[in-house]
Amino acid sequence: MNASQSSWSRTAADTFAVLARWLLGAVFLYMGMNKALHPVEFLKLVRQYDLVQSSLLLNSIAGALPWFEIFCGLLLLAGMAVRGTAVMLIVMLVPFTVLVFRRALAIQSALAIPFCAVKFDCGCGTGEVFICRKLLENFLFILFSVWLLAGYGRRLCVRHSLLSGDAQNQPD
Amino acid sequence: MAHADRRIRVMQPLEIMTPERRHPVRNVLREALLVAAAGIVLAFGANLVSPRGLVLTRNYFPAGINRPVPATTGVGSPRDVANTNPPALSPAQLLAVRLKEQGLQSVDGRQAAQLFHDPRFKQGTIAFIDARDEQHYREGHIPGACEFDPYYPEKYFATVLPVCQAAEQIVVYCNGGDCDDSESAAILLRDVGIATRKLFIYTGGIPEWTTNGLPVEIGGRNSGNLRSTNK
Repeated sequence: MNASQSSWSRTAADTFAVLARWLLGAVFLYMGMNKALHPVEFLKLVRQYDLVQSSLLLNSIAGALPWFEIFCGLLLLAGMAVRGTAVMLIVMLVPFTVLVFRRALAIQSALAIPFCAVKFDCGCGTGEVFICRKLLENFLFILFSVWLLAGYGRRLCVRHSLLSGDAQNQPD
Repeated sequence: MAHADRRIRVMQPLEIMTPERRHPVRNVLREALLVAAAGIVLAFGANLVSPRGLVLTRNYFPAGINRPVPATTGVGSPRDVANTNPPALSPAQLLAVRLKEQGLQSVDGRQAAQLFHDPRFKQGTIAFIDARDEQHYREGHIPGACEFDPYYPEKYFATVLPVCQAAEQIVVYCNGGDCDDSESAAILLRDVGIATRKLFIYTGGIPEWTTNGLPVEIGGRNSGNLRSTNK
C-alpha cells in the first residue's frame, strides 16, 4: 500500500468514525428525549424488568436515565469527552442488551414463537420493536462506541479529550 | 551532528508524551468518571425542574412494584410472560387475588353497564373514575367519568374528591388487561379517606367498554361530544 492509499483509507476511516459519533449522539439524544417527555411511560417499562424493589431506586432510574442519555448524546454530537462518553455508552448498552435478550427469551419460551418474531417495547424510546432488530442495533452501537473509545472520530470535536486538552490527536 | 541527532531521539519520547499518552487507560477512565458524575448531577437536576419530572420519593405503584399481573393478549408486554408466579393461577385469578389483598372489589362489563344506566349515576351517587392519562381520557372516556391520572394525583384531587365523597359507588377503570393504574387510583382514593367499600375496579376497562358497543365521550367531562362504539 503506498502513502496516498494509506492516507485515503485513514481519511475515510476518520470520516466514517465522525459520522458514527454523530449517529450515536443523535440516537441517544432522540431516545432520551422520547423518554424524558413521557417519564411515566418509561417508569412503567422499567418496572416491567423487575430490577429493583425500592420505589426510590425505580423512580431514580426512570427519572434520571433519559436525561443522562440526552447528556451523552449532546457530548457526542459536540465532540466533547468522546472516549469517556463512549465508556458510559458501553456501560449502559451492554447490561441493557443482556436484559432485553433475557426478556425476549422469556417471551419466546412462554409463547412458543420464533425468537425473531418476539416484539415488545423494551423501554428504548422507540416503541415496540422486533428483538432481532433491537439486538443488531445495540450490537452496532456497542461496536461504534468501542471504535470511538479506541480514539477514532476526533475530527470536528469541540474538545475530544477533557483531560489532555489535545483536541486534534491522531488515533492511538 | 550525529551526536546531536542521537540526543534528540533520546529526549523526544519523554518531552513530547502527553499525560494522555502516558496513561491512556487511566485517563479514559477518569474522563468517564467525570462524564458520569456531571451527567448524574445534570440528570437529577433536569428531572427536578422538568414539569413532567418524577417525584423520586413517591411510590407510584401503591399496589406493589413487583407483583404478578395478568397476561394480555398477544406479544406485547415482557411483564406479561415474565411474571407467571404462581403458575397455577389464571390471569383472572391473579387479578382477583391482587384486588382482594387490597380490599377492593371488581365489576365486570355487564355490571359496569348496569351502573352506567342506573339513574343514580345521573344523580351523582354512582361515579366513574378514569385512571388513564390526559391524552387517552380526551380521546374517549366513559361519558361523565372524572379524569384521575394516579401518576399526577395532586392535579386532580380538587375535582375528583368532591365527586367521590358524594358517591356511594365509585367505578375506577383504565385500559383493562395488565393495566393496574385503576388499582393505583383506587388505593390513592382510599388513602385520602374514601371508604374502601365504595371502590370498585372495572377490570375490563375501556377496551371492553368499547367492544361492548357502549358510548364514549370525547374531550372534557360532560362535553356532550359522544361517540357510538356500536359493534
